[in-house]
Amino acid sequence: MHELSMADAMVKTVLDVAEKNNATEVIEVTIEIGKLTMLNPEQLKFLLDVIVENTLLEGAKINIEEIPVELNCNICEYKGLADMDDSDHYLAIVKCPKCGERNVEITTGRECNVKNIKIEKEEEV
Amino acid sequence: MHKIADIEIQHDIMVANRKLAERNQKILDKANVFAVDVLGAIGSGKTSLIEILIQKMDHKIGVIAGDVISKFDAGRFEKYNIPVVGLNTGKECHLDAHLVEHAFGDMQLEDINLLFIENVGNLICPVDFDLGSHIRMVVISVSEGDDTVEKHPLIFKDADLVIINKVDIADAVGADQDKMVADVKQLNPKVKVIKSSLKTGKGLEEIINTIEEFMDNKS
Repeated sequence: MHELSMADAMVKTVLDVAEKNNATEVIEVTIEIGKLTMLNPEQLKFLLDVIVENTLLEGAKINIEEIPVELNCNICEYKGLADMDDSDHYLAIVKCPKCGERNVEITTGRECNVKNIKIEKEEEV
Repeated sequence: MHKIADIEIQHDIMVANRKLAERNQKILDKANVFAVDVLGAIGSGKTSLIEILIQKMDHKIGVIAGDVISKFDAGRFEKYNIPVVGLNTGKECHLDAHLVEHAFGDMQLEDINLLFIENVGNLICPVDFDLGSHIRMVVISVSEGDDTVEKHPLIFKDADLVIINKVDIADAVGADQDKMVADVKQLNPKVKVIKSSLKTGKGLEEIINTIEEFMDNKS
């Protein structure tokens, strides 16, 4: 269970940027999580809600966007989405959906990205 | 007056870890140290295998021993009078590149040429975190059940060497060891898979030769 340390790293990243931009409040945070990371978005969201208490992020809307798995096939040169059954990581990383070959490289789906934030700040005079 | 601002951040924590891992590998390369990240479930035989390799391999070996809240494994290695750093992860279920970089500070890398980094016993969390090692060696045992590869595919997809240990008791625990090999090969056709029993010595020579080959190919 490393959702807590990841949530902590995300909050630090957001607070750092928010403070540098003189935010008075963080309204919204968007995070991208690859479907192949060993992170559970529900657990992550729960932990984020807990650890933002008493920070600029308290009350912020947290959006978690899941990034689908894409692969490159080394045999037929297919590039694109993997076959992904939500309940089964195995399918996605085993086969090229086009030719069925197993020699594939995963290109997306392992992200854990703090994408952007929406903040409220004092108007500069 | 208040105003609302949208700010792009695009800070990927996985990428940040990977950058640290790349830096770790540069530190290792500069010191001419070949590093093996040793992963596997609790009780699969990671510590025992490293203990045997310390005794059988003709190299100057050091170990970074990751554990959640104990230094038991570090203690097991220290009796061989080699450089050992125990890494206590606290609550964490895996090592990351940052922790390993700290461990480098406590180890004289110039005194060794082969470093084993024993990860926390876990087939799930360590997958996401490169440490900067040159190869990833995954150790599993037949007593975990012959469906363990299917249940934890990603760790095998990323592995360079997979050891299926305790094959001497496969029949006793009703595990099909060849199925385990086939499952790994399906996920990762290029990976080297070795069946071993640390108790009988089966597979040990092949494990040593394979690590030597990786070291030779690197230099």
